[in-house]
Amino acid sequence: MIEQNALREIIEQVLGEMNVSGMNAAPKTAQTGVAAPSTSGSVAVATKTTIDDGFIPDVTDVDIRKQYLVENPVNGPAYAELKLHAPCRLAIGKAGARYKTDPMLQFRAAHSAAQDAVFSAVDTAFLEKMGFFTIQTMCDNKDIFLTRPDLGRRLNEEAIKTLNEKCTKNPKVQIYVSDGLSSAAVAANVADVYPSLVQGLKSYGIEVGTPFFLEYGRVGAMDQITELLGAEVTCVLIGERPGLITAESMSAYMTYKGTVGMPEARRNVISNIHKDGTPPVEAGAHIAEVLKSMLDQKTSGTELVKA
Amino acid sequence: MPSEVINSVGIDIGTSTTQLIFSKLTVENRASSYSVPRIEIIDKQIVHRSDIYLTPLLSEDVLDAEAIKKIVEKEYEKAGMTPKMVQSGAVIITGEAARKDNANLVLNALSNAAGDFVVATAGPALESVLSARGAGTDKMSLERGVIMVNLDLGGGTTNIAAYDRGNLLGVTCLDIGGRLIKTENGKITYIYSKIKKLAEENGIKIEVGSLAEVGSLRKLTSIMADILAQSISLTPKTSLSAPFYTNNGKELIDLSKIDAMTFSGGVADFIYHPESSEGNMFKYDDIGVFLGEAIRENQYFKQIERIEPAETIRATVVGAGVHTTEISGSTISYAEGYLPIKNIPVLSIKETEEASSETIISSILTQIPLFKPEGQIEQIAISFSGLTKNSFVDIQNLAEALIEGTQEVIKSQFPLIFIIENDIGKALGNALNVKLKNSKPVICIDGIRTLSGDYIDLGEPVLGGRVLPVVIKTLIFNS
Repeated sequence: MIEQNALREIIEQVLGEMNVSGMNAAPKTAQTGVAAPSTSGSVAVATKTTIDDGFIPDVTDVDIRKQYLVENPVNGPAYAELKLHAPCRLAIGKAGARYKTDPMLQFRAAHSAAQDAVFSAVDTAFLEKMGFFTIQTMCDNKDIFLTRPDLGRRLNEEAIKTLNEKCTKNPKVQIYVSDGLSSAAVAANVADVYPSLVQGLKSYGIEVGTPFFLEYGRVGAMDQITELLGAEVTCVLIGERPGLITAESMSAYMTYKGTVGMPEARRNVISNIHKDGTPPVEAGAHIAEVLKSMLDQKTSGTELVKA
Repeated sequence: MPSEVINSVGIDIGTSTTQLIFSKLTVENRASSYSVPRIEIIDKQIVHRSDIYLTPLLSEDVLDAEAIKKIVEKEYEKAGMTPKMVQSGAVIITGEAARKDNANLVLNALSNAAGDFVVATAGPALESVLSARGAGTDKMSLERGVIMVNLDLGGGTTNIAAYDRGNLLGVTCLDIGGRLIKTENGKITYIYSKIKKLAEENGIKIEVGSLAEVGSLRKLTSIMADILAQSISLTPKTSLSAPFYTNNGKELIDLSKIDAMTFSGGVADFIYHPESSEGNMFKYDDIGVFLGEAIRENQYFKQIERIEPAETIRATVVGAGVHTTEISGSTISYAEGYLPIKNIPVLSIKETEEASSETIISSILTQIPLFKPEGQIEQIAISFSGLTKNSFVDIQNLAEALIEGTQEVIKSQFPLIFIIENDIGKALGNALNVKLKNSKPVICIDGIRTLSGDYIDLGEPVLGGRVLPVVIKTLIFNS
């Protein structure tokens, strides 16, 4: 084990040359159980590793609307009050020219959550609980989905077959769920938006087609589905591209007799559905009303006169 | 989305003066077209201010209803308004006028003459809030981020409201005003009983029929100013102030500090502009000038920054005409053909009682008998915060509990009305309609906070039926 000893010598030498005052004990504690000669001549103390019961606080637990970090403000309470209105990274103070540690960690945590939302899949147990079967677009995985938007707008062979087999044809309203760019949004909101939407339609006496889940789906896929099923009105609940404020925001896109290749101006959207935006349950109720006015007015998009 | 204008009127029948204002409130959807609507009042414009009339009285204790009605009709004409055109607003009878024998009768008579949705309101608590809003104190407190107090010094009463960064901290009302002693040709013609007693206790001699002495009136009004200073914690409370709370109402909560003050009401002008009395202490044949001077020179009031508000003598009427109407949340649910509904008493479920279905049901069932004055259920509105009810399952459970608690209302001819603070009105309305199989008209609105003892008016829907104008009132004279 000459190599190991040589390596240790090099490390000790480097650390010795750095000569960080007060840091002399550091290399020794790192070598647990090994009695190494000390370069600085101090006595080596064998240390035991102890495990605390403590924990590092979760940075994402902080409500940034309520966090106010400016030191020596002219009127802190007034600024804090303003901050309550929006989840922006304001009044986070600074350490010299840089962010403070806490906002820095929050920022990175938000960024990670956004990445996770895009790259993770929707839990199959959740979809089963909702009673949704799953179909796929022509994308086979997330990489293709992200790099080939065109394939995310087209169903694969299997999906077409499954829809033909399982779905009620020519429904007044066809609702389905799609991951889009945030699986986290589907997990966070669909359990509240979907039943509230169906209940809203029910209160208007409008029947709903067979629901399902489309994996690797982009918004445009709804037009192929509309044509395939002969739906009068189609609504997709789809995860939005995550931001640093929330990774759980969902949109509802809606069309009246959509067709593949139609102008985008014929589509309506309700966006920003999440617990700190439009509350999911109330959003469902509102979407039901928009769908009803599409059926009443027999149109959608910019032509639709909103009540 | 186009905006829509609501015409609103404010009518203030006070101890000394009667005034009207007409205003236009513009409502508009502020949300972008890819969001859920968010409709707000975006502009409030006063379009007509009436003359300031002396409140007509038949005798010391009776308001002259006929003369008041004539004033109202005349001002409607001047403003180019008809009662039909006015969709919102309030008639408010304030100060000593509210103590007159026929105050309630006058309110009801006017409510009809002024327009279908114009509502009679009164009560010192509401008046304190309205005058502070009219003075703009709430807004100033919010904009400056400070604690502010408004004193509305009228003829018969002083209405006080305190705000911390725009949030109401509390209100109170005292029987201190500029017309509690009246004079004529230098002689005293009227002394309000509480003032008479105050003078006696402090060895100040004043009698009806005797000469009005500047010295003793100065002494008396400076004690009145001290009482007001005590009421807002500028100096410790003594036994002096206790009897002056209107109708034995509540004192204001102790304020640790006040950053700035505004004064409104008829007396306010003599505080800000001593020259307006033109050197005549008896300019209005009362002690208004004296009281203004006493507050201006008072050692305690001098310590606090004094800001002149947007409105002084008209603060209450502006508050009543411009700041009484709220707009419901923009996603709501209501059965058509039942609105407007006026004067609905509110049954409120406390936040602690919202914890479970059982507590919700029992809260409703315990309170419902209070709303059966003749043994028959009347139209009620049930209010609660709903702040903990956010999931679909929560709302289903809530709907079931509400249905179980309101069986008596469901069996009556009245629609079911729910007023919720949290933004769940439409979802809850849908849940109720489905569970009741659309067999009972349901009105379910959100974005409104009311309390037990309040009365509420729901106006006709505006902006394509998206929202309802709402006026919350407290009809209780003693609160």
